[in-house]
Amino acid sequence: MLDFFTIFSKGGIVLWCFQGAGVTESFTGPVNALIRSVILQERSGNNSYTHEALSLKYKLDNEFELIFVVGFQKILTLTYVDKFIDDIQLHFRDRYKNELEQKGALKLIQNNFEFDDDFKMLLREAEESSKARNHATMRTFKESEKSQKTVKSMIETKGGEKVKEPGGKKNKNTKKESPAAEPVKVDQGKASSSGPKVVENGNQGLTPEEIVQKNREKFILKRTMVPTAKPIHSKSPKPQKPKEKQMRVWGDRGSSTKELDYSGRNGDGSQNGGDQNQEAHIDLGMQLSSMKGDLLSVDYETSEEEEMEVEEEEKVVISETSKTSSKKGGGFGGMFGMLKGLVGSKSLTREDMESVLEKMREHLIAKNVAADISSQLCDSVAKKLEGKVMGTFTTVASTVKQALQDSLVQILQPKRRVDILRDVMEAQSQRKPFVITFCGVNGVGKSTNLAKISFWLIENGFTVLIAACDTFRAGAVEQLRTHQRRLNSLHPPQQHGGRPVVQLYEKGYGKDAAGIAMEAIAYARNQAFDVVLVDTAGRMQDNAPLMTALAKLIALNMPDLVLFVGEALVGNEAVDQLVKFNQALADHSMSDKPRLIDGIVLTKFDTIDDKVGAAISMTYITGQPIVFVGTGQTYNDLRSLNARAVVSALMKA
Amino acid sequence: MEADSTGGNMGGKADVEMAENPFEPYIESLRQQLEDQDPVFLIGVIVALAVIVITCVFLKYFLSSKTVRSAVLLVGLCDSGKTLLFARLLSGKFKRTQTSITDSSAPYKAKNEKGSTWTVIDLPGHDSLRPQYLEKFKSAARAIVFVIDSAIFQKEVRDVAEFLYILLTDTVISRNAPALLVACNKQDITMAKSAKLIQQQLEKELNTLRVTRSAALSSQDGFVGGSVYLGKKGKDFEFSQLPLKVEFVECSARGSKGEEGDADIESLEKSLAKL
Repeated sequence: MLDFFTIFSKGGIVLWCFQGAGVTESFTGPVNALIRSVILQERSGNNSYTHEALSLKYKLDNEFELIFVVGFQKILTLTYVDKFIDDIQLHFRDRYKNELEQKGALKLIQNNFEFDDDFKMLLREAEESSKARNHATMRTFKESEKSQKTVKSMIETKGGEKVKEPGGKKNKNTKKESPAAEPVKVDQGKASSSGPKVVENGNQGLTPEEIVQKNREKFILKRTMVPTAKPIHSKSPKPQKPKEKQMRVWGDRGSSTKELDYSGRNGDGSQNGGDQNQEAHIDLGMQLSSMKGDLLSVDYETSEEEEMEVEEEEKVVISETSKTSSKKGGGFGGMFGMLKGLVGSKSLTREDMESVLEKMREHLIAKNVAADISSQLCDSVAKKLEGKVMGTFTTVASTVKQALQDSLVQILQPKRRVDILRDVMEAQSQRKPFVITFCGVNGVGKSTNLAKISFWLIENGFTVLIAACDTFRAGAVEQLRTHQRRLNSLHPPQQHGGRPVVQLYEKGYGKDAAGIAMEAIAYARNQAFDVVLVDTAGRMQDNAPLMTALAKLIALNMPDLVLFVGEALVGNEAVDQLVKFNQALADHSMSDKPRLIDGIVLTKFDTIDDKVGAAISMTYITGQPIVFVGTGQTYNDLRSLNARAVVSALMKA
Repeated sequence: MEADSTGGNMGGKADVEMAENPFEPYIESLRQQLEDQDPVFLIGVIVALAVIVITCVFLKYFLSSKTVRSAVLLVGLCDSGKTLLFARLLSGKFKRTQTSITDSSAPYKAKNEKGSTWTVIDLPGHDSLRPQYLEKFKSAARAIVFVIDSAIFQKEVRDVAEFLYILLTDTVISRNAPALLVACNKQDITMAKSAKLIQQQLEKELNTLRVTRSAALSSQDGFVGGSVYLGKKGKDFEFSQLPLKVEFVECSARGSKGEEGDADIESLEKSLAKL
């Protein structure tokens, strides 16, 4: 059933492999794709991956630096695979402990790992255990629940209620029941949460009080049913469990108006009302005396409010984690644990890393990395470090921090060559213009950075055509015309062979952007321009018609580079923007290989001092490199990304 | 007297002289004591001090001197055959390989009379891992083997040239000047280019890269990487202009007889022996 199973070292040497019967394609391709898209991009939080028709599951062994990968057809749902990988891993480690423990790759190369028999045996066991679980024998009638009910209890009465005797049977989630109510001992309260409506009890089979009793117990049990599944033994007529909420009785009972006078019962009957009143009293008390004297400063007030109102809020976790860590260090055993942790080699477990990872996650979120990306990153780092043996004098915190730093640098490093000038030269030699398209939401700096990039290209001796495809925003064309004039005055045509270095191709407002772009590119080809920069209108990612229009522009014109312009101030929104932009480009393109976003321009970088998390969010989501960084509003404020500097700013406390 | 000096510290010349005066009697007494001592004891003290000073100087000299470089790095683009070459060099056997995500190192005995042992280190070629592993190992490199996939060289020529450019302009590498062996791998495939052709193409490409890379944008904190200029200004770039020793060899890690046979890496082994 399995297509293949490989065990290879992190250095790349395959130690053992198994190919299923009848499988002809080599598995090297899919496994390489797995490594490149999951492990190297730090998405190893969940351990499965699909590649074309295959579904791959993997497991990292960090102590001996091995990776176990199993592949099977996507359409099969094999339930035993997870456990199977764990078993294989333990078996392999135990068997080859000696060879694996030696550092250095020599043993791995020279040894022949004979694992076939063990593998087949384990596979057979796993398959059999999965088959065994599928079959469940039917219960006999005696064992079923129906035999234990009395006949009388299953008689339905006219009132639309099914009253069952409680003795001897388990509780079922009886949502169909409508608990009857009697006017005698009813207090105020909210209706029950699961939503059964109170039905007027016309006829009853049993005496009203008994019915009330049973219903009350059922009601209470319903609330406590999930943790305990014990049958109720309610022989006593009076309820002994505390009441939290009582049902409110509606409708005309024909009883006295005493029913409707709830004023007296506020004090004693329902605790809810009492609590509310008490809280109201307390609140009023606080407000009355809190504003005396000078106004408190902002920080003091906000922290107090948070502690009062919200207990589960994550913002104050920093103080909480410091409390927990001090608790750990305070104990006597904790002291020894700390010393033990410093000296000697111990392997990391998930629990050790949990507190450090939590702190790191909060730190990343505080530095403006999107929330789910921080948690995915921390999961991936945990997966990478589980079981790793730490050296002497290294603490858990330092190992985790180092690993996180390495992963962040790895994410920010471009996965392909980023050299625009070289690509422009290549296009120049082929006598066709190099087309760059800028897209993004409103107000991120597309036109400004387009002008900066054209200045850079002109300085390096290329001629630029700007295509004004923003036909919506007022003043967009004039803005580009002003830039064109300024650039031409900075680099006058006399110095560049009598020909203006920048030209603007515009067709006014209200026209179709894709058509203008196509004409601009044709014009550039005729006039032998080197680069065409296409400026599009800003659009929100949720605006479906505009996203369709953008996708059409890109699909029709096939630009060489599609740059997404994003500002560094954005927080969690970056994830949503990029995902939706990529989705729109993929959905509306007609070809098999749609043009997606090829690069990112990170703008307004001078406005954030060290909250540089947006860079991580954007590169993580798309996997594309950050090509330009905009650091200001003049023509010289264009930079390239330095991964190490950004990561050190990010990890700085 | 000390109270006087601390009380009257207004920063004048008279004050300074006033401060020196209290120490004079102490200096006098010290001088008297030294002269009273046995001269042998004095010589002993002076010799001890001199030994300490000389030891410190020696230690500093030894520590700051270049660490012994005995590593041979296998670098190259992804899928160029570095890990298989590594396995062949060390054991001669064929091993299936996947994309490496960490480095592997092992000692290698060169096939020369001296029997020198180098540490061969196989670095991952993936773009996101390349810079950090190069950072880690470049100072210990005695020779760098740059592995190229000769069959798809035409498509990848710009990527290969960029990596080679980064290697050649790195300050540490250009200072240490290790030997550079460009191994044109995968010669068993029929469409593989020859070493001479690859050399010419790389020279042309590096020529262009000199111009574009120096015009590249500086990074956001003003750091401009690798300011070494390759070759001679005004003339086309050639590998002979470099201060490093560059040699082009052809090899095939897989071997012409497929997986069972030996690899054609004799030329590589010979070059390694010449180190």
